[in-house]
Amino acid sequence: MTKLALIGLDCADPVLLRELLPGLPTLRELAAGGSLARLRSVDPPITIPAWMCMMTGKDPGELGVYGFRNRKDHGYDKLGVASSASFREPAVWDLLGERGLRSILIGVPGTYPPKPVKGLLVSCFLAPSTEVAYTYPASLREKVTHFAGEYLLDARDFRTEDKARLVEEVVVMTKRRFALARGLASSEPWDLFAMVEIGLDRLHHALWAHHDPQHPHHDPASQFRDALRQYYQLLDQEIAALLCDLPGKTQVLVVSDHGVQSLEGGIALNEWLIRKGYLVLKADPAKPGTRLDDLVGQDLVDWSRTLAWGEGGYYGRVLLNVAGREPEGAIPSSEYETVRKKLARELAAIPDEEGCSIGTRVLFPEEIYREVRGIAPDLLVYFGDLRFRSIGTVGWGRIHLRENDTGPDDANHAPYGILLAYPGLGSGDRSILEVKDMILQHFDGEAS
Amino acid sequence: MKKEREIRISEEVAQAIEAHLSELSAASVDEYVEAVLRERLRRDGHLPAYSPEEEREVARRLRDLGYLD
Repeated sequence: MTKLALIGLDCADPVLLRELLPGLPTLRELAAGGSLARLRSVDPPITIPAWMCMMTGKDPGELGVYGFRNRKDHGYDKLGVASSASFREPAVWDLLGERGLRSILIGVPGTYPPKPVKGLLVSCFLAPSTEVAYTYPASLREKVTHFAGEYLLDARDFRTEDKARLVEEVVVMTKRRFALARGLASSEPWDLFAMVEIGLDRLHHALWAHHDPQHPHHDPASQFRDALRQYYQLLDQEIAALLCDLPGKTQVLVVSDHGVQSLEGGIALNEWLIRKGYLVLKADPAKPGTRLDDLVGQDLVDWSRTLAWGEGGYYGRVLLNVAGREPEGAIPSSEYETVRKKLARELAAIPDEEGCSIGTRVLFPEEIYREVRGIAPDLLVYFGDLRFRSIGTVGWGRIHLRENDTGPDDANHAPYGILLAYPGLGSGDRSILEVKDMILQHFDGEAS
Repeated sequence: MKKEREIRISEEVAQAIEAHLSELSAASVDEYVEAVLRERLRRDGHLPAYSPEEEREVARRLRDLGYLD
């Protein structure tokens, strides 16, 4: 039976990859002999939940996981970090395991804490550290150390102006992860091999302005102008080495969970909600950059007069304060849809500093998901179609921020990732939700 | 070092696990039983994925990475 190896490059972008392909001999050959297509991510196109959407074939609504943190109940401060326990649907490796097929899994976001699998699992950057049980079986950690030395789950101190240190650390992390991948793939039995390298996402965010001449902060003389290109070359070399260790005729998929685009600034979501009277505080924030979580914890939000509040990040989530649903709901349930639609229209119309439209998109969960499980945000907001962050902190005294409130960050996510397949699977756009079935069909075909 | 305690399982179950350790990807009966029980308890909400300190640290890291704000 031929095997299937899925190599995940978090944030790999179809436009950038085609631009860099001439200097990437391995990926170029795979694309030339196979296929390279765009892979439409889910909404939101964020690492969590996107990778587990890919591996389960379920959208965020079906999974009930809408981001890294999700509401546990309708309280104002009950957000929990998503973990493997949040994902109840079987992943493709669970389904293959039921057929007796073995998997090796490395770094797939959403796999911490590790669940038992038929095979081996090294969990992801959401593990608190390598001091905890981050592998299945737990004893696998000894092999991780054997093959990779000190295993790095993620880059440390990401928000830094010390780009040289960050690049060096990401390079070390990537080399060690691929060393582990080669070691396990060549010494352990498997049918499905799946790994995700997170380093590309980290360097896109850290270095996009240095790479992209169109970025507002681009400096053509930057010493890091070629750093992203060089990192892609490193990935190409590491993939080449890994492919050498895979059996012949292995079906190879190189995939990403989303793409990348320039980040132009941020919209202070909660600041805007305050100005518009949707969010009412009992006292002015003490300083710019005050987290709403902290104000909630200090009982400084007047919930009796608050209609909506928001959460920031690469996209905005707006939550409505509904009578009978939230503890001090202020919107009568009969007016919920009216308020939600009005708010959506107003959010979509927030202009830039000059009064021009930024093309914000506001999404309604029930319209974009096949089912809405768990507690979804009432609205998802893509400011400037994700060219602007959603700033959740308050106290800024303005709506538009060109600087980042959490430190330097040059990039946001784009809705299309990559699907590079060898042998090819066609060059038309595909959905991230199709990948699970592509994998199953590979093994179905093998079985028939 | 985490505190541990001994529990008893039937010889029948222990032998079944021992006979299939390779298939179960586990190095020992203890390792397999611990992993299965952890997963089951987490799925039912009886064992948190993170301790409060771990969750604070992971949330801090996610803010640092830009995923949260």
